[in-house]
Amino acid sequence: MKRIALIGMPNTGKSTLFNRLTGSSAKIANWPGVTIDLLAAKVVVGGAAAEIIDLPGIYDLHGFSDDERVVRQFLENNPVDLVAVVLNATQLDHQLPLALQVRELGLPAVVFVNMADEAERLGVRVDTAALASGLKLPVALISARNGSGFAEVQRLLAATLGRVDAVQTQDIRQTLAHDDELVGEAEQLVRRAVSAPSRIERQVTERLDRWLLHPLFGLPLFFLIMFGVFQAIYALGTPIQDFVAWLLDGFRDHYLAGLAGLLPTTLYSFLVSGIYDGIATVASFVPVIILFFFLMSFVEDSGYLARVAFLTDGLMARLGLDGRGFVMMLMGFGCNVPALMGTRVMRNRAMRLLTMLVIPFSLCSARLQVFLFLTTALFSPRQAPLVLFALYVMSFVAAFTTAILFSRRLKSDEPFVLEIPPYRLPVLRQVVMRGWHEVRHFLHRASTFIISGVVLVWFLTHFPEAARPGGAGTYAYTLGQWLAPVLNPIGIDASMAVVLMFGFVAKEIVLGAMVAMTGLEGQALAGYLAQHMDWVQAFSFMLFTLLYTPCVSTLATQRSESRSLGFVGMSVAWSLGLAWITSFIFYQGARLLAG
Amino acid sequence: MDDYPTLSSLQRGERAIITGVHAGTGLRKRLQAMGLRTGREARVIRRGRLNGPLQVRVGSVDLIIRPRDAERIRISRLS
Repeated sequence: MKRIALIGMPNTGKSTLFNRLTGSSAKIANWPGVTIDLLAAKVVVGGAAAEIIDLPGIYDLHGFSDDERVVRQFLENNPVDLVAVVLNATQLDHQLPLALQVRELGLPAVVFVNMADEAERLGVRVDTAALASGLKLPVALISARNGSGFAEVQRLLAATLGRVDAVQTQDIRQTLAHDDELVGEAEQLVRRAVSAPSRIERQVTERLDRWLLHPLFGLPLFFLIMFGVFQAIYALGTPIQDFVAWLLDGFRDHYLAGLAGLLPTTLYSFLVSGIYDGIATVASFVPVIILFFFLMSFVEDSGYLARVAFLTDGLMARLGLDGRGFVMMLMGFGCNVPALMGTRVMRNRAMRLLTMLVIPFSLCSARLQVFLFLTTALFSPRQAPLVLFALYVMSFVAAFTTAILFSRRLKSDEPFVLEIPPYRLPVLRQVVMRGWHEVRHFLHRASTFIISGVVLVWFLTHFPEAARPGGAGTYAYTLGQWLAPVLNPIGIDASMAVVLMFGFVAKEIVLGAMVAMTGLEGQALAGYLAQHMDWVQAFSFMLFTLLYTPCVSTLATQRSESRSLGFVGMSVAWSLGLAWITSFIFYQGARLLAG
Repeated sequence: MDDYPTLSSLQRGERAIITGVHAGTGLRKRLQAMGLRTGREARVIRRGRLNGPLQVRVGSVDLIIRPRDAERIRISRLS
């Protein structure tokens, strides 16, 4: 099968073109010699099957950024039949050197000059014939956004694909050792083939930025926009999530329950409380992931996300993070899982890992449910909001402390230079596709891990069979007893330790676990807890719950996004340690003060 | 160290010609690929608060760059 690689700078509409060419069939796949996953799809070009690979957006084939390394790894390890270079028509002065680098490597190539519509609006005219003869490559002027020139894309791909044998390049950096000369050639070419007004005026962008990047109003507007996006995701997402949970519970109670008599008890319990609950956990994330990426790609594709970096970088740089990481951290207050996936906008690995280490401390909506119940059960109506507020403060403190402590270890050696694209109206099709790809990616990469985790907890809490599930005598309870020397100093007993083990599956389960263990519900459970825990124990328990470990789904996402179990291990060890120290200081301190 | 003006000294609205990029190969390559190369004109559109980044226009491209990195770019001011 013929192989076509798409290359282009960020903000050129490369992914829009890719989606237009491939539709929903694209899949994440790994490639020989390449350390990250790439999106690829099979298409028909000129009557024959071909695969198209969407390479990460890069500025320079010669450079040292993580993405530039990935593109080189790909080209040096995988022969390609054709490279399609996507350029932004409004920035040819900036972008042509990349096309020249591709030609210099001797790769068979075509050039798609994209954003023809925007160029026309701005009065930029491109003479494609002059460009083609100067580049000695076929050129087409297109608009991936509205589909103009698309027939030409198909025709050019069919005409050029397979004219020469596939090329596997070697030593890209060496071949491009003298690429400074290409800049001169690019400048000449632009003079010959492009006519543009001496100063391009982007009035809409300038006018919007006057407010959105305003020295005083910029930040308040940012928080307002983030609040709106957050509300839209979770105000819409939570009812849908509840509905999915209701459907899954209904299926279990109406259909699976019928198996109870037919199957051996242990097998039935394994299937329903292990596997099925695992699948239900995975499914519960699907609505939020779709909504999250639906709205976040809106924020990203519009050009606003890059501006957030501008607004917040003065502060974030001190923490070793960037502004986009801060956005993901804020989004983590809804749910950590999509926030972790969203860190992919950060193209630098060290900075991304640091952000992924910080996000799990965001007090997500699942943890909020637990805290709401406990605070109302154990504190007076006047104290409860203060307690909740203290937990939110702790969440931020833990996140920023982590960022500062680890920013030296996960230091990014790349300069922080970011392009600020003009504001653009996002392409709906693109936004929808993003949500779809992300959900597929999550299901593909994280579901096995999540289901295994749920099954593990099921095993610990249901065996040996003689014991009451979750009660004394189970492995989980025994483990809780072993951990007593560690957990007693922070005021947590063996049965609460079992609750924490349940909490590893999902924080929503914590309340369910308490119900299962005490046999009490609602007011009765609240009363029981009030009798068995004083406020110091309760707050210590909540602090620990906030910090000790994100749920199994968060860990699964950390693993699939970092592709490193070592990183996940470090993250878990750190959050457990931090949780213990925080709870210890609080618990012992409070006990000491109370005498 | 020396008193050559650098990009980081430019105020909002000021323009300059880049006269040199003084950084290690990796950093220089990156800045150059983003358009910050010798001979090009740069204009500071705005500066972020709290020693935040500079928004710089080079040709058809707008970039943000931290003051620390902008210090490596020598310029000659245009009035």
